[in-house]
Amino acid sequence: MSGKKSFLKKITGSREASLVIVLFVLGIVVTILNPTFFSLNNVGQIFRNNALTMIMAAGMLCVLLTGGIDISVTSILALSGMTVGLLQKYDVIHNVPLLFLIGIAIGVICGIINGLIISYGKVTPIICTMGFMYIWRGMAYVISNNKWASGNDVSGAFADFGKEGSIGPYIILVIVYVVFLVIMRWTSFGRSIYAVGSNKEAAKVSGIHVERILISTYAMMGILAGLSGVLSVSIYASAQPNMQYSKEMDVIAACVIGGTSMNGGRGSVVGTFLGALIIAIIAKALPLVGIDAIAQNLVKGIIILVVIVLNIMAQRTIDKREQSGKEI
Amino acid sequence: MAGKSGRDISAIPPRGWKHAIFRWESMLILVFVLVNILGVSISSAYSLNSVLREMPRYFAEMFIMFGMGYILILGDIDISVGSIVCLSATVACLSSNAGVPMVGVVILILLTGLACGVVNGLIATQFTELPTMIITLATQIIFRGIAEVSLGNGGSVALSSNIEGFNALATKLGKVVPISFFLILICGACFITILSKKTFGRELYAIGSNKTAAVYAGINVQRDRFIAYALTGFLSGLCGLFLVTTSFGANTTTGQGFEMEVIAMCVFGGIATTGGKGNLAGASIAAFVIFCLRIALGQANVNTQLILVVIGAMLVVSVLIPEISRRFTNARDKRRRA
Repeated sequence: MSGKKSFLKKITGSREASLVIVLFVLGIVVTILNPTFFSLNNVGQIFRNNALTMIMAAGMLCVLLTGGIDISVTSILALSGMTVGLLQKYDVIHNVPLLFLIGIAIGVICGIINGLIISYGKVTPIICTMGFMYIWRGMAYVISNNKWASGNDVSGAFADFGKEGSIGPYIILVIVYVVFLVIMRWTSFGRSIYAVGSNKEAAKVSGIHVERILISTYAMMGILAGLSGVLSVSIYASAQPNMQYSKEMDVIAACVIGGTSMNGGRGSVVGTFLGALIIAIIAKALPLVGIDAIAQNLVKGIIILVVIVLNIMAQRTIDKREQSGKEI
Repeated sequence: MAGKSGRDISAIPPRGWKHAIFRWESMLILVFVLVNILGVSISSAYSLNSVLREMPRYFAEMFIMFGMGYILILGDIDISVGSIVCLSATVACLSSNAGVPMVGVVILILLTGLACGVVNGLIATQFTELPTMIITLATQIIFRGIAEVSLGNGGSVALSSNIEGFNALATKLGKVVPISFFLILICGACFITILSKKTFGRELYAIGSNKTAAVYAGINVQRDRFIAYALTGFLSGLCGLFLVTTSFGANTTTGQGFEMEVIAMCVFGGIATTGGKGNLAGASIAAFVIFCLRIALGQANVNTQLILVVIGAMLVVSVLIPEISRRFTNARDKRRRA
């Protein structure tokens, strides 16, 4: 084997590069159809409307990297968002940083409970988080006591933070991705997450505390879900217990399009971000090509299916080529 | 003897009174009795009659459970069933309103379900590298997407013809027992027998326990997986049919969350999502436990969402029990040796 790879191979071999190409082609097509699509205002809206999915996708990446899954994220989001909404409705707290802290604290507690049961209770992640999906969502309903927090309750500095034109959501989005990029690339903690996902036994033997890593990934997921809950209340200036219901699949879909393997050990922060961005742009651009907004989900599903199938086909051809090159 | 995977390997099935009493199914029967005692004590309206009156809504979900049990025993998962229910209910309402006779509607709805299941099965068997969670995640969005597109801008449709036909499906024999109950019994008997006595059922366990070993034992693994997915799709269509008899319409949220409720029934009934473990008898009892609990708490005017908390907690505790009891036995063994 030669050490150097050809440029073409590098491009097709790297998931991020192919995603960038897809994004580029998508951008050209959309610009031809509608030259004003990539105005600052429009792009800002794309990020603002999908900030929640993008933020949670970063945490979901870590969970998927360990070979797990967390389908309770939107329920955690609802619980934290509802708490924050009610705290304002009943005029208990109006301090913006404090509200964010409370939301994040709720998220981290939920996440740690998930992680404890999965790591020490040896429960399959999907089953554990499914149980908690019911529990957290139910608790959001119970604390809401059939009441909503609406625009009148959520106002002042807190609503200004996420309202249209404010840079609050973008700052949080950038901070989250920069932090995760650094953690996953350059810290031993991030590399341990990859190690646990690639081979749990080997990770254990090489001295990684697997249970602790698992708990911290679910806790991180909880932090981001709690943060998204607060941000959601701030952006939409309302809190209902059913917010973002069944949107956890969108988060997982963003990771999967971004090249994250569900078996663990493969995936990257950049890829996840690009995956989420592709879904967001397509959703926004659909009306331009004459497809109704109601067909959005259909198109999204087909894209996911095509992407994963293409990925498998590419992998098969690569494997075959490598097999033929071997001298047996 | 413990195998490589940590599973107990023994050719002789354990017998004896101790095994018969201390098994999960007996526990579930005990829980079932307790739930009914709870129901009678917290609600004056709780009776066989009132339970059977509220049951049809829940019975529909139980059909899917039989198929889902097969898939989980295989070690796979199918989270698209809720969307298949939505799509088939939509097809039923739209075709009825377009003037298709009742028999045609029933055939159409079952074919819709079967077609969706076949699509799942084909993708799962053609691209075996893909986790079934992702495949059915994609088809979940696609099937509901098709329903959304065909429902149009309103997002819902009400049944305007064939109402007598659907009413006939909802009739109660002797004014108490709904037809779907008998269908559940027949289905349950068939599926349980196939799973425990027929070659196909035993093959499912073999595949779920060790796929590679199953291939070398000459089992047509992909064929069995395909059949399981197609069956589940068909049963989801059946569920859609009976759902329409209670709702007389369909909308974009029909069947939302069914997949999780059905998986919860199976898991609570002792079926492991890792495959090769559990049986449908346990899952059926678990389903009735959940139904009765829901009806009892609902009659006692407990918040519907609080009921979800209770069910979620039951689920988490039930999956934690094996690990807790294992640690308990380990500690006891250690003390004995010391």
